Amino acid sequence: MLREDLKVAEAAWRARHADELAAATAKPALCEDGIPLKVVYTPLDADEASPGDAAFPGEFPYTRGNDASGYRKKLWTISHYAGFGSPRETNVLFRKMIDHGGVPPYMALDLPTQLGLDPDDPMAAGEVGLTGTSIASLRDWETIFDGISLESTFVGTVINAPAAVILAMHIVLAQKQGADLAKVRGNLQNDILKEFTARGNFIFPVAPSLRLVTDSVEYCSRHLPSFWPLNVTGGHFAEAGADRVHEVAFAFADAFTYIERLLARGVSIDAFAKNMFFLMKTNHFDLFEEAAKFRAMRRIWATRLRERYNARDPESLKCKVLGHSGGSQMTRERPELNIARTTLACLAGALGGIQLIGLRTMDEVFGIPTEKSEMIAIGTQHVVAHETGVPDVVDPLGGSYYVESLTREFESRVLSEIDRLEREGGMVRAVENGSIRRTIAQDAYEAQRAVERGEKIKVGVNKYRIDEAEPPRRPYQLDPAEEGRRVEDVRAVRRERDSAATAAAIEELKRVARLPEGSDSNLMVPIIEAVRAYATMGEICKALKDVFGEYVERGRV
Amino acid sequence: MEKRVPRILMGKPGLCGHDRGIMLVIMALRDAGMEVIYSGRHNSPEQLVDVAVQEDVDVLGVSILSGAHMALCRRIAERLKEQDADDIVLLAGGFIPPDDIPGLKALGVREVFTEGARLDDVVAFVRRAAEERLPA
Repeated sequence: MLREDLKVAEAAWRARHADELAAATAKPALCEDGIPLKVVYTPLDADEASPGDAAFPGEFPYTRGNDASGYRKKLWTISHYAGFGSPRETNVLFRKMIDHGGVPPYMALDLPTQLGLDPDDPMAAGEVGLTGTSIASLRDWETIFDGISLESTFVGTVINAPAAVILAMHIVLAQKQGADLAKVRGNLQNDILKEFTARGNFIFPVAPSLRLVTDSVEYCSRHLPSFWPLNVTGGHFAEAGADRVHEVAFAFADAFTYIERLLARGVSIDAFAKNMFFLMKTNHFDLFEEAAKFRAMRRIWATRLRERYNARDPESLKCKVLGHSGGSQMTRERPELNIARTTLACLAGALGGIQLIGLRTMDEVFGIPTEKSEMIAIGTQHVVAHETGVPDVVDPLGGSYYVESLTREFESRVLSEIDRLEREGGMVRAVENGSIRRTIAQDAYEAQRAVERGEKIKVGVNKYRIDEAEPPRRPYQLDPAEEGRRVEDVRAVRRERDSAATAAAIEELKRVARLPEGSDSNLMVPIIEAVRAYATMGEICKALKDVFGEYVERGRV
Repeated sequence: MEKRVPRILMGKPGLCGHDRGIMLVIMALRDAGMEVIYSGRHNSPEQLVDVAVQEDVDVLGVSILSGAHMALCRRIAERLKEQDADDIVLLAGGFIPPDDIPGLKALGVREVFTEGARLDDVVAFVRRAAEERLPA
């Protein structure tokens, strides 16, 4: 049918159903970020001018997927965020996870570690081992990976401000195990910009923080070519309340900031871009938009990398995404329904063709999950992967009038947001003047008010409530004596090491930190030697604070 | 005498960096016409209490999602007593297991709002608490 004929046919259809359509659209249907939805999409919604719609998977601009055969080539990787308070317990958990279908560890760390504080620091009191594993020195890394080969295990670590120190521990332990560094795989989050704006685990001011990111990525591009040293985390914007357009726009704006620093350093785009990846939310709400989001991300990334940064390696042009379902979407009310939510979140990620998926557990709204609920979360992915047939066909939503239209609309809103940020002076400026935080808070406020007004239904919360007689108990209890043991552990390390060698390594670190940044003053080199000399996380970060100072957050919001 | 506007200090004690909840509460309290000071992140409990006393606030609201709420709230309650300022209403929110709520209240935390709390309920509670403390 010709386009003109279609228009006539659509108008006639609209007239025949005018009353029903008028009633149905009296209240507009909107995605949470404000994208309006029609009742139905038709061939008239196809954009004949957009080559992306007609392209094939495995080829530029990769809208339809990074690989020609999608999940038939390789199923998404099941990622699972975990880590207990003590390095010893974490070692047991990781060995079990690796045995259980080869699920690679994605390590949660406690807050003192993430903020560069040793367990005996006064600010660490009461916080040691609570949100994940406590790591104070190379000795802890040795304990966690006792019996686990770093050459054959992919190790993910959620670490940002002191990511360079964790990377150094990984390198030194790999060397001690006799591993070939060129084969060592793993990832660091290392996305410091979103710590200032969304997650809050910052230590140093913005400029030296960016130097540490640049240094660690540059070092990996030269020595650990299989390692993914930078995981740009839009998901934290979403968890802090940003809508989906802001989640993606801010993640790209952060990513482009890092890229431009590395290019200025003289690192070639194809030496590092292929090892960058994104950690985003994969959520169940506005499910088709979630799938469209991943499609749009691939097109935006490939286009920008090729046209702005002259990337040529196809691997650099492929936007790789780890999707985690959002903890903020889980509810304490009727918590078993969280399994339904994460099942759909998994489906959204699979329909979007992403590379890794991780699901929250049903009981995580109450505390650190139990092993049983961890296994349910992993099993949920096994059901989607092996019982639904979803992985059989690449980009199953491709060609849908609706999803293609949504993909284009989403892409255009993200691009205009990125343009606005760049026009207004770039991401670093937006971090420092607080505008990103204000935007996120405003999005969160509107979403919360919509739930409270009953405009947005949350099952079990503002509708379909069931008052349950027995509230669920706290799932996992950290042994309260653990903090004391960790304090004793780090003191034992300080007693037993060659303290002159440690002190010399710390002095060398400070010397290099005072030099202007550049390839010749890459901080990874002295940090690796400090770690090798069993300098602690707290000592290394203290040395850097002495030179760089600390980030002071503006109180104004 | 004209009634004074309630003054609130909202704070993040300890190391937890998540601020979605506290930002929502700050915005809701401001929309309700209250005067709200925000501490920013990474404060020691003692620092927060000292600011609360200096600023003569009616309510001190703290948000903790790290699991360290018992230890941090204990130190806050103790410091309030030391400063002879335990008439300041202490309010806690964040990621707090239900089993811990009675223990927090025994420490002197007047109310606990967790995930799923309604902003209108938080605002109503703060208004009542502040009015109790304010001269009529």
